Amino acid sequence: MEEALMSGKISTEGLGMPVEIAAIDGELRKLWEADEASTNASLMNFLVYTEDPHELTANSKMIQKLTREHACRAVLIAMDRKAPKPSVAAWITAHCHLAHGKKSICSEQISFLLSGYSFGRFRNTVFAHLNSDLPLVFWWQGEISDLFEERLYSILDRFIFDSSTWSNPTEGFAKIMEAREQTNDHMVTQDLSWTRSYHYRLAIAGLFDDPAAERSFFEIEEVNIVAQKSQRTSALLLLAWVTEQAGWKTGLELGLTAETNPENGESFLFESKEGRNIVAKITWDDDGAPLSLLSIKSPDCEVKVSRQEGTSHLCQAICTAGHCLNVSGPADADDPEGLVADQLSRGGKNSLFLRMLPRFLKLL
Amino acid sequence: MRQNRCSGIANGTKEWQVRGVSNPFREDLVSRNLPEACTVVIFGATGDLTHRKLIPALYNQAADGELPAGVKIIGFARRNWTDEFFREGLEKLNREVSRTGHDEEVWASLASNIEYHQSEFQDDDGYRRLAERLDAIDQERGGKGNRLFYVASAPEYFDDILLHLKRAGLSDEREGCWSRVIVEKPFGTTLATAQHLNEVVNGTFEEKDTYRIDHYLGKETAQNIMVLRFANAIFEPMWNKQFIDHVQITCAEHLGMEGGRGGYYDQAGALRDMVQNHLLQLLSLVAMEPPTDLSADGVRDEKVKVIRSLRQWDTPELVAENVTRGQYTSGNINGKEVPGYCEEDRVDPESETEAFVAVRCMIDTWRWSGVPFYVRVGKRLPKKATEISIHFKETPSVLFNAAPGGVPDGNVLVIRIQPDEGISFRINSKLPGTTLRMEPVKMDFHYSSSFGKSSPEAYERLLLDAMAGDATLFARRDEVEEAWRFVDNIENAWHESDNPPLMAEFPAGSWGPKEADEMLKSEGRKWRRL
Ligand SMILES: NC(=O)c1ccc[n+]([C@@H]2O[C@H](COP(=O)([O-])OP(=O)(O)OC[C@H]3O[C@@H](n4cnc5c(N)ncnc54)[C@H](OP(=O)(O)O)[C@@H]3O)[C@@H](O)[C@H]2O)c1
Repeated sequence: MEEALMSGKISTEGLGMPVEIAAIDGELRKLWEADEASTNASLMNFLVYTEDPHELTANSKMIQKLTREHACRAVLIAMDRKAPKPSVAAWITAHCHLAHGKKSICSEQISFLLSGYSFGRFRNTVFAHLNSDLPLVFWWQGEISDLFEERLYSILDRFIFDSSTWSNPTEGFAKIMEAREQTNDHMVTQDLSWTRSYHYRLAIAGLFDDPAAERSFFEIEEVNIVAQKSQRTSALLLLAWVTEQAGWKTGLELGLTAETNPENGESFLFESKEGRNIVAKITWDDDGAPLSLLSIKSPDCEVKVSRQEGTSHLCQAICTAGHCLNVSGPADADDPEGLVADQLSRGGKNSLFLRMLPRFLKLL
Repeated sequence: MRQNRCSGIANGTKEWQVRGVSNPFREDLVSRNLPEACTVVIFGATGDLTHRKLIPALYNQAADGELPAGVKIIGFARRNWTDEFFREGLEKLNREVSRTGHDEEVWASLASNIEYHQSEFQDDDGYRRLAERLDAIDQERGGKGNRLFYVASAPEYFDDILLHLKRAGLSDEREGCWSRVIVEKPFGTTLATAQHLNEVVNGTFEEKDTYRIDHYLGKETAQNIMVLRFANAIFEPMWNKQFIDHVQITCAEHLGMEGGRGGYYDQAGALRDMVQNHLLQLLSLVAMEPPTDLSADGVRDEKVKVIRSLRQWDTPELVAENVTRGQYTSGNINGKEVPGYCEEDRVDPESETEAFVAVRCMIDTWRWSGVPFYVRVGKRLPKKATEISIHFKETPSVLFNAAPGGVPDGNVLVIRIQPDEGISFRINSKLPGTTLRMEPVKMDFHYSSSFGKSSPEAYERLLLDAMAGDATLFARRDEVEEAWRFVDNIENAWHESDNPPLMAEFPAGSWGPKEADEMLKSEGRKWRRL
């Protein structure tokens, strides 16, 4: 690793001052003593973990933005598991922002680059650098590896991940479910692929307060979702939500299957409580927004939420014969740090996500 | 979850209700009462409040995705303005004051639903036209609509507006759709006028559809009082006469009568303008018993009990003993010379109106017996600050009284309402060194440091609550009347008695008259230095 650092292959830009591991606390203290004008604020320990060492500087930039709204002690850990020799490097810095144009509010950041294999080192690095009493939010980037184990997840309060970045979501979710079970559901789990559809769900719920949409609910025949192919789990989570809330049985349970062409999308069949068949289609469109459409159609009414690539608004519409009600509302963030920031602002136990997870796993 | 939105693009039958179910997509989505689509009619729409507060609040709700789809806004005022001109003026101010900035697309979407309605408040025809207009809006969208009337005029028009609304049939409930009214402050000027106004309001709208604004209740930190008290196990057991020595509530303002404010203020005074509503509301949140639930009436039942239990200062002697009123003389604030109260713009040079008041409030309940709540409010004080401080009793002075300097004052819990919202707690700690010397230290929590995101403005929360039918953060009729009863007794002693208590003076830029300091000093206490 030293070679990679020395040769500049792994950038350390923005990580701050290199420090000896044993001196981190002392150096942080000096950092604050030297700066009397700033306030060190922290609402949580925020740990960002990646197994791609090149992500370290990008993560530091993300923390810079994220700490504008969420003061924290940030601990960034990058693991280079392929490196032949075990080694550790660490840096400290602080991200400061003017709060409401007045006071300088700072969040401290400790970054670690861990290379090679050394038993328990990752876990112990985490344990040793937490602010006591503050909640521990852990953002795991990329595939869930074998380092996600009981002694680590038993101390997490919130676990954030993005299932759309996993090569095998079924396997990934199995690990998460096991962790929840082991921790007696203490650990709150948050999938950014679920956060990605928050405003879609809010918009659909609002539109179905309208009498026209209300009536159409009992005659729905078709659900359409358009998404980027890389957002398969986001699209399936959204579909799971629509169908779970609506109380429809999945065709899979009933032995019904729809024709699917994996190149263009996927199709599913559902059955309403009244015994009506509903076709749900997910279509891939890599040129559109991550999620670009959710439309729910009955013979006389279409309830539609859509988003154009590059815009920050959702177009919401209810169209009945001859008339459309159109409104625009906010869209979800595109970038992971925006999604994480939104998720942190909302807090909560994420119980809705857990409720529809079994259905999602079936659709998966 | 409750659902009865009736404004929509199709005829207003409510399928969810008919089938006895609720909108399944709502389930578990957000944990608050849901605002329902409606047409908001603002009376006094060319005014300052509409431009600075109400429209920016609606805009910010839209930007946050909280405003229900299908909300229409009609501005009602006298000037001969067009829809276009009205919108342009609103847009200009929204750009200046909006909390979340100004996004063209969000504004365009909101503005397409804003219209102007020109009429005098006393003009029957104007209300008839308004009714037609509202019907047309509903027809256009194929159904009947909910209506929210916001009375944002000067108080002398409240009666006119309400009576005309009734006469035009606009307050009638229509087939499951609601009509609600929000009434701005001041709600009356005496108990009698408040009672009269309540008669008029409740003769027009039912109490459940009446929302009396007290924008202090919409502030994040005011709402946090209940959370602090009832969601933290350490405070509630100590929240009583056994552990609390006294409570102070201060609302200081460094401004005087700029911007023509003197005209209204000189008629009202500090007691009516601030104590009757905002400060007694804060006091009741601090002093109330835990409500049985968080419903609007659950909370308000407990708050009103506190106001009802206030010991009445109903003789000039009691008022002289427990209340200090004052006016500022000329002075200096932030390096600027400022005039005395009676020399201010639109203030009567012989004015007998108080620009400062300090009241010792005693709550005659089991919990608070013997614990004074000192409330003070004033103009031209050194800075702008509103806070509540809970002063705990001192420890028995047996252990540390031999220590040099003795034991510093007791613990103080401070809830800062504005600006710099937050909570701090003062505890005593040993100074490092070989001797036992103690100093108070402060644990401090600042909303703005910890939560970078700005809190919604009070009016944002309150408008959404009114659309959702949640009256928890609005004053109920009995609360308003009980508060006036308390205030009226003091006003009567000042203005109706033969031996009225004195009007004290203090130089602008100081912390009020020395008589107010004496009030606490005589009991071995002092005002907290802010
Ligand atoms: N401004 C604030 O920040 C604030 C804060 C808290 C509470 N409030 C309360 O809110 C209320 C309104 O305050 P404001 O500052 O907005 O008042 P304002 O600027 O004086 O506006 C008064 C409004 O009433 C209209 N009006 C007056 N006489 C009328 C008549 N005969 N017929 C029709 N319209 C008439 C005016 O319309 P024209 O311009 O067309 O004449 C104007 O739109 C007051 O009760 C005040 O106490 C205000």
